[in-house]
This record gives sequence, C-alpha cells and structure tokens, in this order.
Amino acid sequence: MNNKAKEILLKKRYRAEKRFRFFGISSIILALSFLCILLVNIFTNGLSAFSRTEILLKVNFNEKKIGININSTDKEIKQANFDEILQEALLNLAPNVPELKQAELIDLVSIDATIELKKFYLKNKDVLNKTSEVALTLSDDIDQVHKGNFPRDIPEDRRRFSDFQLKIYDEQIAQKKIISEFNWPFLFNADSREPEIAGVGASLMGSFFTLIVCLLLSFPLGILAAIYLEEFAPKNKITEIIEVNVNNLAAVPSIVFGLLGLGVFLNYFYLPRSTPLVGGLVLALMTLPRIIIPCRAALKAVPPSIREGALALGASKVQTVMHNVVPLAMPGTLSGTIIGLSQALGETAPLLLIGMVAFINVVPSTPFDPSAVLPVQVYLWSESAERGFVEKTSATIIILIFFLAFMNSFAIYLRNKFEKRWS
Amino acid sequence: MNIVLLSLIVIFSLSCYFFGKSKILKQTKISKKKFHSLPEYYGYYLAAWCGLPALIILFFWSLSELYIVKILILSDFRTDPAIDNNKLNLIFSQIKAIAENKFTGNIPQNLIPYAERFLSLNKILELSKLAIIFSAIIFSLSFAYSQILKNIKARESVEKVIRVVMFLCAAIAVFTTLGIVLSLLFESIKFFTAVSIFDFITGTNWAPGRAFVRDASVQTTDVENVFGAVPLFWGTFFIAMIAMCVAVPIGLFSGIYMAEYASSKIRKIAKPLIEVLAGIPTVVYGFFAALTVGPFFRTIGEGVGLNVSSESALAAGMVMGVMIIPYVSSLTDDVINAVPRSLREGSYAMGATKSETIKKVILPAALPGVVGAVLLAISRAVGETMIVVMAAGLGANLTINPLEASTTITTQIVTILIGDQSFNNPKTQAAFALGITLFFFTLVINVIALNIVKKFREKYE
Amino acid sequence: MVNEKIKISTRNLNVYYGIKQALFDINLDLFEKKVTALIGPSGCGKSTFIRCLNRMNDVIDICKVEGSIKVDGEEINGKEIDVNVVRERIGMVFQKPNPFPKSIYDNIAYGPRIHGLANNQDDLDRIVENSLKKAALWEEVKDRLNQPGTGLSGGQQQRLCIARAISINPEVILMDEPCSALDPIATAKIEELIDELKKSYTIVIVTHSMSQAARVSQNTGFFHLGKLLEFNLTEKIFKNPDNKMTQDYITGRFG
Repeated sequence: MNNKAKEILLKKRYRAEKRFRFFGISSIILALSFLCILLVNIFTNGLSAFSRTEILLKVNFNEKKIGININSTDKEIKQANFDEILQEALLNLAPNVPELKQAELIDLVSIDATIELKKFYLKNKDVLNKTSEVALTLSDDIDQVHKGNFPRDIPEDRRRFSDFQLKIYDEQIAQKKIISEFNWPFLFNADSREPEIAGVGASLMGSFFTLIVCLLLSFPLGILAAIYLEEFAPKNKITEIIEVNVNNLAAVPSIVFGLLGLGVFLNYFYLPRSTPLVGGLVLALMTLPRIIIPCRAALKAVPPSIREGALALGASKVQTVMHNVVPLAMPGTLSGTIIGLSQALGETAPLLLIGMVAFINVVPSTPFDPSAVLPVQVYLWSESAERGFVEKTSATIIILIFFLAFMNSFAIYLRNKFEKRWS
Repeated sequence: MNIVLLSLIVIFSLSCYFFGKSKILKQTKISKKKFHSLPEYYGYYLAAWCGLPALIILFFWSLSELYIVKILILSDFRTDPAIDNNKLNLIFSQIKAIAENKFTGNIPQNLIPYAERFLSLNKILELSKLAIIFSAIIFSLSFAYSQILKNIKARESVEKVIRVVMFLCAAIAVFTTLGIVLSLLFESIKFFTAVSIFDFITGTNWAPGRAFVRDASVQTTDVENVFGAVPLFWGTFFIAMIAMCVAVPIGLFSGIYMAEYASSKIRKIAKPLIEVLAGIPTVVYGFFAALTVGPFFRTIGEGVGLNVSSESALAAGMVMGVMIIPYVSSLTDDVINAVPRSLREGSYAMGATKSETIKKVILPAALPGVVGAVLLAISRAVGETMIVVMAAGLGANLTINPLEASTTITTQIVTILIGDQSFNNPKTQAAFALGITLFFFTLVINVIALNIVKKFREKYE
Repeated sequence: MVNEKIKISTRNLNVYYGIKQALFDINLDLFEKKVTALIGPSGCGKSTFIRCLNRMNDVIDICKVEGSIKVDGEEINGKEIDVNVVRERIGMVFQKPNPFPKSIYDNIAYGPRIHGLANNQDDLDRIVENSLKKAALWEEVKDRLNQPGTGLSGGQQQRLCIARAISINPEVILMDEPCSALDPIATAKIEELIDELKKSYTIVIVTHSMSQAARVSQNTGFFHLGKLLEFNLTEKIFKNPDNKMTQDYITGRFG
C-alpha cells in the first residue's frame, strides 16, 4: 500500500470517527431537547391557570330582594337567594338590551358568583341596602379570552362567547373593572364541571392520603423484608423464591397491580371503592420491591467489620443488625424509599382500575372517603372538552412535577450528604 | 371500630412494655439476682404476648366476619334453585348497602328484614370479637407474666418473634405474586369457559362492547366472535416497536457517548437530566402526546396531503420512545463501563480510533448486556398504559399504517374496567384474561433479560 | 509451665470450611493472665483458631467446628451454648481497627449497655472512663468523647477497640494481628498496653511479627498448615525449638 492510499484511508477513518461522535452528541442533545420541549410546553400551557380573572361589579344589596334583614342569622343568610341582586347588577352593565342578550350578560360571570356574593356579604354585613363593588369570578370563556389562550378574531359561531359579550368585556377593560388575581381557589377547591371554579384541592388531599397509606405500609414492611433477606435469610430454596419474586415484582407493569387491587381488595375483601385506603394499599404492594432493592444495597454496603465488632462484644445477631447496621444503612434506605414513593405519586394506571376516577366534588377528609389523586385528575381533565381545562391540566402537572422534583432532590441530598463511602 | 380496637391493643401493649420493664428493674433491686436479659426485653416480651395474639385474632376475624354474615343471611335464598351464585352476590351487596344506608334508588321491600338481620348479626359479631380478643389478651398476659418472673431468656424469645415477623414481611412478595396470579387466573378461567382460548388468541375481531347485547338477549350475537385479541397483540407490538425505533438508537448512542466520550463534567450534568425523562409520570407524557404531538403530526400530515388521525400509533409510540430513552441509555452506560479496561487498551495499542474500538471491541463484548437492556425496555413499552390510553385510540384496527389509531392490551384493560364494572360478564373477565397475558409476557421477557444481564456481569466480575 | 492455672483448653479441635479442613486436632492450653502468641505462615489457621475461642466462626455459614473448647473447665463449643454469653466473657480485637461510626463515648458504652452492666448514667461514665484509662487512651480523648470514633488515628482507633473490648470486663482478650495495620510507634504503644493488660486479663495474640511475639508473650504456639506443631515457653521456642519446622520459620527460612 502506498502512502497516498494510506492517507486516504486515514482520512476516511477520521471521518467515521467524527461521524460517530456526532451521532453520540446529537442523541444526547435530542434527548435533552425532548425534555425541554415537554417542560416548556407544559409550563407555557399551565402557568396562566395560576391566575384568575375577576370583574369588579357594583351590586346593590337590597334586603327585600335578598329576603333578609339586618337581624338575619348566618344560617338564614346562607339559605337566602342572592341571584336576583346579582342579575340586576349584571344587567346594569348594559341597560335596555333585549331579553335574548340578557342571558348572555348573566353568563359573563361564573355560576359560582352568587356564592361569592354570599361570602362577601357574610364578611361585610354593613353593606345591606347599600351599593358596593364586589370582585366576582368571570366565566371560563371570558377568562380564557382575557389570558389570550383563545383567539377572539375567529367567526362568532365557532367560539363559545358572543360578540356582545366581547363588547361588554372590552368596555369593562377600558373602565379597569377587570382584574387578575392569584388563583388560590385552584389550590383548595375540589373538582367541578366548570373550569373556572375547578381546583386540585381534592386530588391534592387524595394524593396526600394515598401516599401516607402507601408510606405507612411499604416503608416498615420493605425495610424489614430487606433486613431479613440481607442479614438473616438462610441460603435455601425459600429464600431464593422470595428473592426471585421481589426482583420480578419490581418489573411487573403497574396496571397488573390495579387488576390485583380490583380482583382482591375490592371484589374479595369489599374494601371501599375509589378511596385512598385501597389506592395506598395497591401502590404499597407496587412500591414494596422498589424499596427492598435499594434498601438491600444500602445494607450490603455496610462493611462486615462493623458486624464483627458488635458480635465480638457479645451482641446478639438481632442487636448487631438493629443497633449497628441498620442506622448506617438508613440514608440509602430513606432515599430509596422517597424515590419509590415519588414513583407511586405519579402512578395513574392502577388507580384507574380501582375506581379512583370518579368525579369527586368534595375535598376528602379521611383516607376512607372517595377521592381522586393528582395524576388521575390530569387524566380526567385532559378528557374534558372545555378550553379552560387545558390550562388546568397543565397546571396540575406543574404541581405534580414540583412535588416530584422536591422529593427526588431531597432523596439525592440525603444520599450525598449522609451516605458514607466505605472502601 | 377496628381502628379503635387496633389503637386500644397498641396502647395496651405499650403499657405492658413499661410494666414489664419496671417490674424486672424492681425485682433486680429487691432480690439482687441478675436476670438473663436486659429489663427492656422482659417489657418487649410482655408487650408481644399482649399484642400479637390479639392482632392475629383481629386480623383473621375481620377477614372472615363478612363471610360468616353472608353465609348466615343468604341461607334463605340458597334454597331457591333459580338463584345462582352471581345473583346471590348481587343480593348480598344490596342487603349490605341497605343496612349501611348507602343504597341508591328504590329499596326492594323484601330485603329490608334481611338488612335488619345483617345489622343485628354484625352487632353480635362485633361484641363477640371484643370478648374473644380481650379474653385472649388476659389469658396470654397472665401466662407471659408468670414466665418473666421465672427468669426466662426473654431476649431470645423476643428475637425469635422479630425474625418471624421479618420473614413474613419478606414473604409478602411471594403472596403478592400469588395474589396476582390467582386473581387473574380466577377471572380468566371463567372467561375461557365462555370463550375458547383459541378464538381469543387467533380471532381478529375485538368488540367486547357487543358482548352485552347477548346478555340482554335482545339479539344473539355470538360471544366468541367479539373477543379476538389479535388486533390488541398487534397494536401492542406495533406501538412498542415504534417506541423502540426512537429509544434504541438515541438511548444507545447517548449511553455510548456518556461512557466513552463525555468529560466527567458533562456526564455529571447530562446523565441525571436524561434520567429525569424516566421520572416524569406517564400521564404527563400521555397528555403531551394527546394534546401536542398528535395534533402536530396531524397538521404536518395535512400539509403533505396525508390523512393522519389525531390519535395515532405514531404519536403514542414516539412519545413512549422518548420516555424509554433513559432505560436504554443508563443500562448501556453501565454495561459499557463493566467491560474491562484491558480490552480497550489492547485495541488502542494497535492504533484503532475510539469509534473503531467501540464498534469492533467494546460493543461486541457488551452485546449481551445491551440486548438485556433493550429487552427490559421492550417490557416497559408493552406494559405502559397511560400514554396509549390517552394517545393511541380505542379502535381495534389490524393495520400497519402508523398514522391510524391503534389499540393495545393495556388500553383495553383500562377501557373495560374504568368506571363501574359489573363482574361476572365476559367483558369484564376479558380484561383479566388480557391482564394475565400481559403479566406472563412481561414476566418472560424480564426473566430472560435479567438472566442475560446477570450472566454478563458475572463474566466480567 | 507448672503451677499455672489453665484458662482455656482445647481438645481435638477440628475446623472445616465446607469440605476443606482448616484445623487438625488442636490440643492447646492457654494459661491465665499470661500472653500467648500464635505464630505461623499466613493461611496456617491461627486466626481460625482464635475465632473458635469466642465462637466468631459461627458467623461463617460454611464453617463447622468440632471438638472441645473449655473455659475454666466449662464447655463452650456446642449448639446449646449461648454464644452471646461466651463472647461477653471472651473479647476480641480485630486486624483492622473497626470502631463503630458513633461517638467515642458510645463506642465504649455499647457493650455495657447491651449487657446491662451499668445501673445508671454515673456507672456508665465510670466504665467508659476506666476502660479508656486501661487502654491508655483517656488522656488523648477525654475532651472529645462526643466526637466520632472513626475520626481518630489508626493507632488510637485500635486502642479504642481494645477499650471497647475491656468495657464489658472480659476474662480473655483475643487479638487477631492487632498491629498489622499500624505504624511502628502505634505498634509500640499497643505492645506496651498488652504488657499492662496481662495483669488483669488472659491474652491471646495472633501475630505475623516474630519479634512482636518474642517481646510481648510468655508462651508461643507455632501453627503450620492447620496443625499446631509446637507449643512452649516463648523463650524456649525462640532460642531452642524442638521442631525443625519451627526453627526454619523463626530463622526466616520460609514463610
């Protein structure tokens, strides 16, 4: 082979090298850009859900129209009807419109507006028979227009609000009567059919209860199982069977655990459907192997000299393990548990099968009440047609990701800070 | 009720612990004799004897309680030959709902006396439970108390209990697997008595919704013709393959780059960031696929004149592929790192470039590990639920066009079982038959993959 | 060697690892309040032997110990014997210092706590102080008892382990090459300490260093290939061994 041919070959080889490297780098960049697109997409869609749009409306609290007087008790007020004064106030926005348009005026605010009015009155009873300006939540359609999530220049028959409503809205904007506030109710309200008042309060609570049940079951059971397998189990057939089962369960699709929950917990033991109790139980079984595996790794990492030291002092095997080995393995165990729980927090499929998809419009107060959880709420809202639910769904995902990020960084912190490297 | 009882037992046990400990402390002071174990262990001993028998009784009692009631109450209905087992279950749940004031709709008058009987039986059972548990506590406590005064080896007994409890915890894994297999098998067997296995595996028409038609006996549709699962198997396979087409090249190259080229600084940042992809809940991917990726493909398709359905196998598969990237890349990274240095150095010493070394030496050596990684990723893809539920559609099409909607095993399980299901009809049982198919399929892949990876590790350790 | 009380005696002691026999018919008497050194080439079974004396071989699943081991005439080798009590009486110090990753105080207090040796906090403080003093570590650590034991130097860690062994007031202390991981100065300190400790404890030390055996022990046993070839007064062994192999080993001709 002459020198020239060699040179050409060498060049070719270097080109191949460069190409290979390029593939590697672009794969990583591609993977990371998927992550970016996903997160940016969710955040741009969802951030607007954290504000709500309200209208400052002049309302005349006429006692006759409400049907109360200055001496009415809170209970009477709660039963009273504020619809009439609300309608009156809304109609005042554009006096003398035909009856057909009046309905459009009334549709400007959320159906919850009377309740807001009632709450306002309960706090400010001195407005009776006076006119006062009250901030009321606007309907979901106007809310979306205000946030710019819905284009206003498409033909009237293809949108959910009329030109007339838009005109009123523009007038109110000009008078600075439309305001935006932080959407606290979104964090505390339960689900609703109306996007503007639907919130994640119930599913937050449901997720919390579910995780607590899951933690209470899977953590002690998982840690004890790991200690047994790593420290006490004799080398025999039974131990082998258990180990194979643990490893395989960690890779079983989560939906199969849902079938287990449905077939055994609901159908056989008659546990209450749709509750965090059953959800937590199913997730605990799913999380168990995911706790046992890192926990065993942490126990294995404790050097045998520690065990020998304690045994030589006459400590029994149980004492040695409980006093000296387990505390050293704790950081690794805890971080494994937190990561297992964070997976449980994001899990949806098994919960769908045990009925945690019911429409729940009250915030659950115990783990025995039917409830939804955050990821299921995402699924439920993503199936809804209203435009307002898109931002709610994304906002729920933001909340979910926030919790996951928090849990995972805490786990990493624990591992880095406390886990000793034995060498 | 059970919770009150549970906390009572716990409080009792706790006080037994303190009582036993202080009793032994006092005894040592008075008689100056040394006990075998530390005073704490006598406390634990007493607490264990107080709590464990009570808890065991409580556990088994609560499990069987409802069945005793059921047998007693339903004895009247059993005599009627027209009422089969399914009807009995239905009647019992109605009686239970009436008794608990949870019945919705018109209460059948003939069941009211049974509901009353249900309540009174429950009360009797509750009372006898209380009585039995408390007598058990008193009995075992008095035994344990006489034992500790005899200076028994309390530590050894307590440690034995601890070991048994730990063993039971570990055995839960086996019980879970058993529970899964049995509950799936139980319903599947019922399903396969109505529908032949052969039709299920080879049939190409999947329309379980029409199975109801026969139940209502409005029209006689043959049950066996609507449970052909081939379209589901195909859809599952098809979407998983699309996912692997995305995940394998990207994951493999990222893994290789991370292991062989990247500086430790880049590695430290990029590796956890890629792993974030695996930490994002699948429902988020599903939402993303349905809301963004699906319509995106549709718009592109419209642009080039293709008819893309908004729920397509392509969208679901691509997004699933992105989710799986880190599974492939992390395992590839690990596997490549496990290849010994000497192999690399041998290749470099002959003047091979890095990529040549990787292609000709490292990858062939790491091949079993990489194959294992890909198999594990396939098992993930097959078992993945939310992405396909939200983005792949429901139509059971037997198609190779990735732009059409396609359905999978997991999607069908969810669709069948979501919301209210009535058991005992072939449609619901079909979901369990699908479940057992899924379970065994993923189990086989996992076992093969884990063994390949394990063998590979052993080779280089 | 007459007129001395025998503390531990082994008769026909055979040890197997699986099917491989590690010790063959060891018959050895250890005298009270004396230092006995066990020497021999590595793999000769001397560590296996002392691990029999406090039943540490129980930890190894495949290890089987046959024969009789008597402490003060009492059999300690057998399934029905409580190993924890045996180990309370016979303490052990390992090759590599292995303090628990706890405070210095808790390292020492651990043993007394699990055996219930202290009735109150003052008792415990006293035990910790005495143990550290006996291990000649008190002066160095008395101001930092709450700091982790793992933060000490190697020699200090080993003395901490000795203090830990002393804390439960054992009758015998087994030392498995206690100085092999230490520098010469730390080694000298430990040897000095052993000399002091033999006033109150029976000590068995496994060592690689012939000179160390000569310096610290009164009796010496020579192990080779799992057999006890010679056991005698240290002076005798080093000056005029009966066995040819011992002679070769001591003069450095093999091992």
